[in-house]
Amino acid sequence: MSWSDWAREATAPQAAREKPEALEGILVLDVSRSSYAGLFCSSLLAEFGARVVRVEPPGGDPARFFSPEGMEVGGTGLAYLVEGRNKEHIVLDLEEERDRATLRALSARADVLVETEPPGSMASRGLGYEDLKALNPGLIYLSLHTFGQEGPLAEVAGRAGWSCSDTVTQAASGFVHTTGLPAEYTEFPEEARVPTRMGNWLAWYAGGVFGALAVMAALLWREESREGQAIDLSPAEALMCLNNYALPYYHISGEVMERPGNVEPAAHPYCYVRCKDGMVFLAGYTDANWKALCEIIGRPDLVDRFPTVSSRTDPAAVVEIVREIEKFTMERTREELVAIWNAYRGPGVTVCGEVLTPMETSRLSHWYERGALLRVTDPTYGELLLPGLPAKMSETPPRLKWVCRPAGADTEFVLLDLLGSPRAGEAPTFPEGAAPAPRGGAAPGREDL
Amino acid sequence: MRPEALRGVRVLDITRVIYGPWAGTLLAELGAEVIHVELPGAGDVLVRPVAPRGKLPRNISSGLLCANANKYFVAIDLRKPEGVNLVRRLALRSDILLENFKPGTFDSWGIGYRQLRAVRPDLIYVSMSGFGNWGPLSDRPSYDAYAQGVTGLAEITGFPGAVGVKSSAWIGDFLAGTYAAFVALVALVWRRRTGKGQFIDLAQTEVLLRCMDWTWPFLGLTGRNRARSGNRDLAAVVGAVVRAADAFVAVGALEEKEFQGLCRAMGREDLLPLAPYRLRTAKAHLIYEGLEDWARRRTLAELEAAARQHGFSVSKVMDARDLHSSEHLRSRRAVWFFEDPLWGDLVLPFALRLGATPGRIRWSIRPVGFDNEYVLRKILGLSPQEVDELYREGVVGRWDPALPFASPPPDWDGKRGLFFREGTEVLEEGQR
Repeated sequence: MSWSDWAREATAPQAAREKPEALEGILVLDVSRSSYAGLFCSSLLAEFGARVVRVEPPGGDPARFFSPEGMEVGGTGLAYLVEGRNKEHIVLDLEEERDRATLRALSARADVLVETEPPGSMASRGLGYEDLKALNPGLIYLSLHTFGQEGPLAEVAGRAGWSCSDTVTQAASGFVHTTGLPAEYTEFPEEARVPTRMGNWLAWYAGGVFGALAVMAALLWREESREGQAIDLSPAEALMCLNNYALPYYHISGEVMERPGNVEPAAHPYCYVRCKDGMVFLAGYTDANWKALCEIIGRPDLVDRFPTVSSRTDPAAVVEIVREIEKFTMERTREELVAIWNAYRGPGVTVCGEVLTPMETSRLSHWYERGALLRVTDPTYGELLLPGLPAKMSETPPRLKWVCRPAGADTEFVLLDLLGSPRAGEAPTFPEGAAPAPRGGAAPGREDL
Repeated sequence: MRPEALRGVRVLDITRVIYGPWAGTLLAELGAEVIHVELPGAGDVLVRPVAPRGKLPRNISSGLLCANANKYFVAIDLRKPEGVNLVRRLALRSDILLENFKPGTFDSWGIGYRQLRAVRPDLIYVSMSGFGNWGPLSDRPSYDAYAQGVTGLAEITGFPGAVGVKSSAWIGDFLAGTYAAFVALVALVWRRRTGKGQFIDLAQTEVLLRCMDWTWPFLGLTGRNRARSGNRDLAAVVGAVVRAADAFVAVGALEEKEFQGLCRAMGREDLLPLAPYRLRTAKAHLIYEGLEDWARRRTLAELEAAARQHGFSVSKVMDARDLHSSEHLRSRRAVWFFEDPLWGDLVLPFALRLGATPGRIRWSIRPVGFDNEYVLRKILGLSPQEVDELYREGVVGRWDPALPFASPPPDWDGKRGLFFREGTEVLEEGQR
């Protein structure tokens, strides 16, 4: 059997439902608020089989409504439809002592708690790590906040009640400074030539995946030691770790990395150039490969003008080289350019690839075959296009079991199941249309995707 | 010193550039013993020469430095059968294997998952590529900039009146590498429960697709493409980077209280009715115009004072100098100053603050083959004669001294920073 056939058979996403889940039996409480760092983190754990109880305030976490143009489906914003997956959705009012007691009781049973409150806020309500550790020494308590739990800015953020904003976190990490078109690109409007935030919630994603990584390490440690721990994870610091050599290079050279636009300052050309119908990615930065690139665009004179790596990465030359290449590419479409590059048989290796819009990439069958994008029909939210599961695994693949649930839809079920009763002394209340059905075992009736 | 979470876990990291090496580094920062395999002579030629304007202060490669810490660097010629055999022997003593060669390469060399699991059924094998080991696009190359481009991430970043922008950071490598480290630990949890290893196929493009928030449901529901929105977050309002009088500043106000505070600070009580979150996004542009206009006439210090007083968040758009000198980050060791055993004074960013088992940085990069003896003698248990033979046959080797990016610092004394020396115990830095 060929390697790729074997790999496909071993990791086919269609077979995932027949296989076991690596994190089965791990109970996670996600009490995050207004932050997709917490939501992404708990999704990662839920995709691998952890039982995630998503705790929202009455009316729902504001994050449930972060959505473009105010769009909602079934009372839920579009981003939350991505991160509600595989979770049981309950409502607790942590401003009320009664519900705080419920959360403490749940924490006593939990393996992991994820929170994103302003630093100190959980502790001030008797829900801090020390409070819960006393009830459950094995608890892993993950705090995600831009400025962390300690340090001068954590104190400021705690006092002023700052939430964990993605944009502020991107800026605090150094990432915004190194992203965007530089001032020299006079062909673009001035307001576009500024430090630029990433279009996606990159700081929240960086924080979420670092958080999940740290939680896994803590779970492995707990197996040895039987001890839980507190994790103080700053998404800004996580994203700072992902920003190439900006920080260590400053330390060894005294130079601050600036935003280079769509070129790579340490190797050129390794960049996007404009063409007739968008942009393409081009690489040909070593001397031999640069020669090949110039051969393709019929410009051997450029080899003579910019013969070495350092002559090409000279900041004065970078934009000029792009403009010279664009004289060729602007006359052609992405498809034509990729075909021209693929047909090149001369010496050297140079690469050309399409830069696509989300709409264009959403038409590639590759993503659907591999379950990286999913078209699903959810009983509550209808037909949806969703990101799927990046990892293909032979033994314990991740999976999407259900998309989301209304805020509080699972309150009664979870409290009955985990605590043996609805919240202390009172009948629980539910949002309209979210009638809970008593069930046995974790979240049955929803393995329908 | 507090223990490390992954002590006793061994990782064989046969990866190039950033995506693979970064995954290995995270595991090493959490305490795993990570063996990084390169070719003798030049080492990883795709990343070692990467340096802004070709500058290599003290022979330090910035490209290598940003994705490697705490690893043992061994140089093995994988083009020789004896080299492949050596890798096989290391794999048999490892818990996790990371590789980011073209899909199928290791299988054709006889050290793919199919062959290794026959002798080591509990091995966790992570294959890292651009598009995965199978599927219509699986022969396409793995480049960060291509991954950012082909997924649509670049086209949703930047301003509507200009072009899409990729991050200058190799986020397709770094974010996917972080995800790979996470998934490897998920598999390790499963192995501790069952004794079973597994094969993991991780495509960097698919990690980026997963991290594009509301893009896909928006496309699916509206049939419209997602447009760029510059420095305004149109879904998590308020989140914007604005131009203040003396700096670029990010402003965030997501909670109702924060939003009310911002309105009061701006003197825009007329916007207060938009405080309930669900009313806000439809009027996002109105809010952002007010914010941009207000911020333009104020200094960073004034915005910071307003944020503290009124309770919404701000941050300067920090550059490397700001981060390096931040008291806050230094106090948390997020900016981690250390004395590298070979290079001396260095700094790396750091984020893994686990209370009971804190991650740590022990050392940074190493010259090509710098830890050959540590790996071959101490880990594989070879005799001095066997190691000599491997050098003679060219199966293992060290750096080419003509290549600064592969070599020790110019003033190296032949001993400094080595973790294994004949007749002595391993130096403290190398002890597990």
